[in-house]
Amino acid sequence: MIGAILLTLALQAQAPSAPPARAAVPDRAALLARAGEAVQQGNRAEAKRLLEIAGRDRQSVRALLQLAHLQLEDRETAAAMQTLVKARQLAPNSEDVLSAIAELSLAGRAAVPAILTLESMTRLYPDEARYSYLLGVALMGAGDLPAAIDALRKANTLQPGQRLTLLALGLAYNNQKLFTDAYPTLRKALDLDPDSVETIAALSEAEAGTGDLNAAERDAARAIARAPQNATANLVLGMVRLAQQRYPEARDVLLIAAQADPASPKPEYQLSLVYARLGDQASSDRHRQQYQEKLRAMEASLAALHPATRTPGK
Amino acid sequence: MTRLILTIAAAALVFIQPAAPELLFRDIAAQAGITFRHHAAPEKKYIVESMSGGVAMFDYDNDGRPDLYFVDSLTVDTATDPSAARSALYRNLGNDRFEDVTDKSGLGHPGWGMGVCTADVDGDGWEDVYVTALGGSRLYHNNHNGTFTDITASAGVGIPGWSAGCGFADYDHDGRLDLFVSRYVKIDLAHLPEFGKDKTCEYRGIAVQCGPRGLPGESDFLFHNDGNGHFTDVSEKAGVSDPRGYFGLGVAWFDPNGDGWPDLYVANDSTPNFLYLNQKNGTFQESAFPWGVAVSEDGAEQGSMGVAVGDYDHSGRLSLFVTNFSEEYNDLYHNDVDHFTDMSFRSKTAAISLPFVGWGDAFVDYDNDTWPDIFVVNGHVYPQLDRVRMGASAGYRQRRLLYHNRGDGTFDEVAARYGTILTDEHVSRGIAVGDIDDDGRVDIAINDLDGAPQLLHNEIATRGNWLLVALKGSSPNTGAIGAEITVTTPSGKQTSVVQSGTGYISQDDKRQHFGLGTAPEADVSVKWPDGTVTTQSAVKANQVVTIQQIK
Repeated sequence: MIGAILLTLALQAQAPSAPPARAAVPDRAALLARAGEAVQQGNRAEAKRLLEIAGRDRQSVRALLQLAHLQLEDRETAAAMQTLVKARQLAPNSEDVLSAIAELSLAGRAAVPAILTLESMTRLYPDEARYSYLLGVALMGAGDLPAAIDALRKANTLQPGQRLTLLALGLAYNNQKLFTDAYPTLRKALDLDPDSVETIAALSEAEAGTGDLNAAERDAARAIARAPQNATANLVLGMVRLAQQRYPEARDVLLIAAQADPASPKPEYQLSLVYARLGDQASSDRHRQQYQEKLRAMEASLAALHPATRTPGK
Repeated sequence: MTRLILTIAAAALVFIQPAAPELLFRDIAAQAGITFRHHAAPEKKYIVESMSGGVAMFDYDNDGRPDLYFVDSLTVDTATDPSAARSALYRNLGNDRFEDVTDKSGLGHPGWGMGVCTADVDGDGWEDVYVTALGGSRLYHNNHNGTFTDITASAGVGIPGWSAGCGFADYDHDGRLDLFVSRYVKIDLAHLPEFGKDKTCEYRGIAVQCGPRGLPGESDFLFHNDGNGHFTDVSEKAGVSDPRGYFGLGVAWFDPNGDGWPDLYVANDSTPNFLYLNQKNGTFQESAFPWGVAVSEDGAEQGSMGVAVGDYDHSGRLSLFVTNFSEEYNDLYHNDVDHFTDMSFRSKTAAISLPFVGWGDAFVDYDNDTWPDIFVVNGHVYPQLDRVRMGASAGYRQRRLLYHNRGDGTFDEVAARYGTILTDEHVSRGIAVGDIDDDGRVDIAINDLDGAPQLLHNEIATRGNWLLVALKGSSPNTGAIGAEITVTTPSGKQTSVVQSGTGYISQDDKRQHFGLGTAPEADVSVKWPDGTVTTQSAVKANQVVTIQQIK
């Protein structure tokens, strides 16, 4: 479930500011102007062709950024990344190019290029909160939660009171089981955006972790009322129902959680417990098997990210 | 006027002087004559150099006073010289003095020692000693004269490879004590995994020892006591051989489902733990997952090390406390008759344990208020960690945790309340708890991987009444291993079990300690391993009471 949330966080991140105007030779300017007109006329293919020429023949980084933007809008993610790589060859330290690469990598769940790019950016622009935030999100995606927490804490220090930073930090705390840190962080995030389902769900997880099952139950139910398929909220409510020994209800919400986040082993493990309590050993064994398969798959995907991440060997 | 000023100044001084911390434990190891030092390689480049050692508190000479045995280990550099490691047996002389009797005892050189458990394996009334080790564990028979004889070969309990945890119990109710031994990682000293070689040999981007993940594990052993001085390997037949080779460490025999037959819990590092339920026919059913004690509450396989068993909530049922790796949490699994519930976060024991690598653990009622508290020692496995203090993990040396039981299912971590004795940082492994001087306050012996051991003498001033219950079982299980003792006072019932093999590859004193609070007396009930029950009513507080099984 954290993958889906990360994607949302990455896409919701503030878009890179428009590239600054550069002194351009007339040919570049003309090509860019004609491309702009083509976009206005709805002829995106022509716009892309013109921008590609400007990038290739006139070494226009601005044209390549605009081209990548159009490609991204048209869901041509791979092509957009290729365009940005070309832009980086022309301007290796361009903040706009690096930022675009990082955000595109994050949106495409390509954690390794995102982390590598953002680590460069946080060194080049140490006071820019957005890059620390994005680095934190990328590290979360790679499963390196201690490093993610460090980056997100820095982002929160540089620019306090940002809803997305607080939410990401709260999620990272939850994943490290640092629930007493997660709780106040997520409360602040919720104050800034009282209707955020993800924040309410994450808060319920923190509340369950601090042992306040009543609050966890209340907030998980709130999140489910807004988004019945929310994976986190259903998982939390399932665990609360399990603790309350209300096993049939636990089973029902955990099945929703498993369906909502099919890659996560967590609801499968809880379901194995619930079915065991219900005396259904066959179903318990089946969900335990699925839990273990998903756990191994998750570990394999995290291991594949090495050495960009600092995942512990133990 | 001057006098008034002086009085005010003196009063002010009294006012601003920080209150002295309350005295709980004092380390008396040095003054008691304990000079043992555990050997360790400075860099711990190989996992075999990080996991030892255990400690036993047991009465080897039947003088009524618990003695101490510390297990030592070799290193890769000294692997070919068994004399480079010297485990040590200390005889309790009384008055908080110990005498090194190692040389006479013959227990000094078990090889690359790891852990220890004790039991009277032949029913002669004297405790024998089993030492786990890398390259061959050993069973030492007690000769009743301060010496021991290595009977490993004749008993048939020699185990190759890397054995770690051990414990004796009568799993088949034939009256004789059988032996379970957990094993850890398959290791070849001639072909050790290269330090920092690949991704399983890195931690936070720095080179560290490899494993256990990425290394092959070892199977486990159950030996049936045939009663003629020989044991038979029944691991596979009994269903406890661990063919997948999980990384076995701490071992606990107890009866969580109350059916009168000993079950077995095995803490596995970085792999799911085992709960083997006794099927009463010589076999076991592995049930840790459905019973909720295989992994963490959210399904994470944790690096489990030590196992403690105790009735922390006066439910009459034995719950589990399992120590784990850093950035994981210590598990408190509450016994709910037909399953366990992970109460770690709800009990307030989990959060504070996250930075620490936990090892030895025990339920101990250190203040005799009737509620068993929890004591945990910690210490990392990577000395290199101190160069990169990243994430939530503490450094290489780590403080202890003392959880005070509030009596409502939750705990307060109170180590800092008692000065620096528990907050000073160590690299600790095994602990053994018991009352070394019969003063009614539980003491703790600690074996550190690096540095001197400690003997924490309990000197708490404000404490309740107490009982120490010593059991004399019928031969051949003369130590009454597996017996459950229930002590009843107006504040409720407390249950405890006599175990061989406790905490992290160690051995607690088998006499069971109970805090009685303000109660001047208690009813004591013993459920012996064969199911018979002995009851003594209105037993006066503040004494060692010995209860003999009558057949």
